[in-house]
Amino acid sequence: MSAKEKNLFTFIDHDTIESEKIIAPRYSYWRSVFRVFFKKKSNWVLLGLFLLLILGAFIIPMFAPYDPNENVTRAQYFHKSPAEAIRTFGFSFKWLLGTGGFGNSISYGIWSSAKTSLLLAVICAAINMVVGTIMGAIWGYSKRFDQVMLVIYNIIANVPYILVITVLVYIIGSGFWSFVFALTVTGWLSIAYFFRTQVMIIRDREYSLASRCLGSPITRVISKNIMPFQTSVIVTILARELPSYISMEVFLSYIGVGLGAQVPSLGRMIQEAQTAFLIYPWEFWPPVAVAAAITIILYVLGQNLADATDPRTHM
Amino acid sequence: MTVMLLVYSLIDRKVIFQTDDVWNKRSNNERIIYEYTQYQKYGYLEFYNYATFLQQKYVGLYGDSYSKNPDFIKDMAAIQKPKTYLENESVQEFINSYESKGYNVVYLEPLTYTNGRVKPGGTGYLIATRERSVFLRLWDYLKGFITIETVKDVKDPGLTDRYIRIEKDPYSGFFALVGSGTTHKYLVYFDGHFPFMHWNWIHINLGVSYTKYRGQEITDVINQPTGDLDAKLVQYPALVGTDQWEESAVDFHKLTYNNGEVSEMDKELFNDKYTVVTYRRKGLSMLENSFVIGLIATIFAYLLGIPLGVLNARNKDKLGDKLGMWYIIFITSVPSLAYIFLFAAIGTTLFKLPYAFANAEVKILAYILPTISLTLPHMGSLMMWMRRYMIDQMNSDYVKFARAEGMSEGEIFSQHIARNAIIPIIHGIPANILACLVGAIITERVYAVPGVGNLLTNAINGHDNGIIVACTVFYTSLSIIALILGDLLMAKYDPRISFETKGGR
Repeated sequence: MSAKEKNLFTFIDHDTIESEKIIAPRYSYWRSVFRVFFKKKSNWVLLGLFLLLILGAFIIPMFAPYDPNENVTRAQYFHKSPAEAIRTFGFSFKWLLGTGGFGNSISYGIWSSAKTSLLLAVICAAINMVVGTIMGAIWGYSKRFDQVMLVIYNIIANVPYILVITVLVYIIGSGFWSFVFALTVTGWLSIAYFFRTQVMIIRDREYSLASRCLGSPITRVISKNIMPFQTSVIVTILARELPSYISMEVFLSYIGVGLGAQVPSLGRMIQEAQTAFLIYPWEFWPPVAVAAAITIILYVLGQNLADATDPRTHM
Repeated sequence: MTVMLLVYSLIDRKVIFQTDDVWNKRSNNERIIYEYTQYQKYGYLEFYNYATFLQQKYVGLYGDSYSKNPDFIKDMAAIQKPKTYLENESVQEFINSYESKGYNVVYLEPLTYTNGRVKPGGTGYLIATRERSVFLRLWDYLKGFITIETVKDVKDPGLTDRYIRIEKDPYSGFFALVGSGTTHKYLVYFDGHFPFMHWNWIHINLGVSYTKYRGQEITDVINQPTGDLDAKLVQYPALVGTDQWEESAVDFHKLTYNNGEVSEMDKELFNDKYTVVTYRRKGLSMLENSFVIGLIATIFAYLLGIPLGVLNARNKDKLGDKLGMWYIIFITSVPSLAYIFLFAAIGTTLFKLPYAFANAEVKILAYILPTISLTLPHMGSLMMWMRRYMIDQMNSDYVKFARAEGMSEGEIFSQHIARNAIIPIIHGIPANILACLVGAIITERVYAVPGVGNLLTNAINGHDNGIIVACTVFYTSLSIIALILGDLLMAKYDPRISFETKGGR
């Protein structure tokens, strides 16, 4: 290399601090999750519908309190089809969907009922998910606990879940909170079992073993090594559980052990209308449609969110 | 079992009287006595009446004519006088003997109008009761769960010839296990009806119905055929071999022992004292209804679900697969009640299929809608799992290797992927049959099918604790059997699993 060529270059000293920096764009887990989630156009539509449902279920009952017994003494208002109801009462949102078997307003009824169903689903899901994941994490981590829990699980899981809930609600009586109790008293067990398997898989990975060998306490291993892997698992379970509580309420109200007469619920509306669902279709299909809409939207949104929470889709 | 404990201990036992006509007709003390008799019948408590006590006491002293004895009449009348009843010797004896045994003695004062006339149902009673603990009741239930008939079952001293032996069965032409001294004459027999081999020998007792079928055994309730009598040309046992045939619906395989007097007519028709007859009926029993619908639904679900799942996996992300996925999403998320009614609406309006089971003119047609309603959701979940397993296998290394070796896609699918993917599906067959039976709880109620699932929902509405316990035990035992069968099937079809211990660690 000649002297002239040497002048074309300038030497830079090796900077140890600078060389540690990573130039790639910062990776934020949750930002990536939402980026992937909102890239899908159908998710915008579903989310919009879901917000509409939530607003409807929580705001409409505020302005339009549903009273199932308001016309209970006036037999001439029973079973009015939408057209007849509008002719009788004049055009209003309240009578848009006709009247039920006791002259009750269907359109007010479905929103109050949707509120009950959503509240029920959210409360049950919250309790079951929290208890289920915590128990599942311990269950998957501790081998001694595993032996005990497996016995308990085998005893309880052998009885069909639907049967357990039906009999429990029958025994402790109907009502919102007894219903929550029945759905949560054994409901967390299957979540915990599913979670246990996932925790076990991660627990025995090399990096987790290394972390333990280096002396990390159990709490740290669980919270830093295992739990971050479980986000998409938790969301997947949630997507499956939320609609199932609504279905369960509908089913139990239908067979007559539901929330009781005081609480408006979709299952109860369906149960009241089902005997003559071919004669008075306007009483039967709206609550069915609302129940179906809530469950489908929750399910699909949950599945898509679960896909988005999987880091492998972030590339 | 836990459920049983809960049912026995938590449910207010008074609810069983809500729909009871006898209870409604009675009033005052008689109603209380009726309650105690019923509680005793269902095992809640032990209960003794003063009248029975007196009867036993005086039969011992004076024989059958005890009721005319002045002492007896005096003792009986004593409890109708609330002020002086404690002075009577028999009353004191009754109280002392039962209180020392730990009973709770209750005196129900006679209720009278002001003019001294006794109110309806207001006669006085003296009773002793003792509660039975929940665990004792559970023990009773389990003890009586399975009974096997023996030659000592019939208590008739006139019957000397007691045996159990294999004989030729004149009604089916096969051999049958015939007993004498047992309750049933034919213990095990074969005939041309499903399930071909029938057992009267071993009897499973699920308990007694409280309100719906007042005091009937639930095993009988769910096994009782329904519908019209099914008459055929038959011969009575004593006439077998002659040319006297008769049109009758008597089922000779179900003859039971007659403990009373055999009538003159029966003596000509029967050789022995097994003369109590039951009749054949055209309809199916509750159990059979549930099983027929559940089994057909499972078979259809497998026949349709697996090929569709395979097709979806092979055409991944194409239009057919997307349609399939939407179907799966619909079926798994929407409340089952919603789509069952949807099917019902479509089936009744478009295809004119009968909706409610009882109103159907052609019974076969009534099975169609419930079966479809059960098939479609199970088909959906089978499709989902089959597709998932196939896609998992498609991405595995051995498939890539097989492809690199130059095997055709068809070979890879049928010989490698399908064989691996089918194993978890096989494991699920018994559980799926069970799921069809449990799922039938909803379907049977919608279509009013007289089956076991509907029995449970009816029992819940009718506060029939006996049936609820029985249904719980029934479904739970079925699910345990299903799990075991599933494991056995898996071991048979998966070469990696075996129950024999192998060498090495």
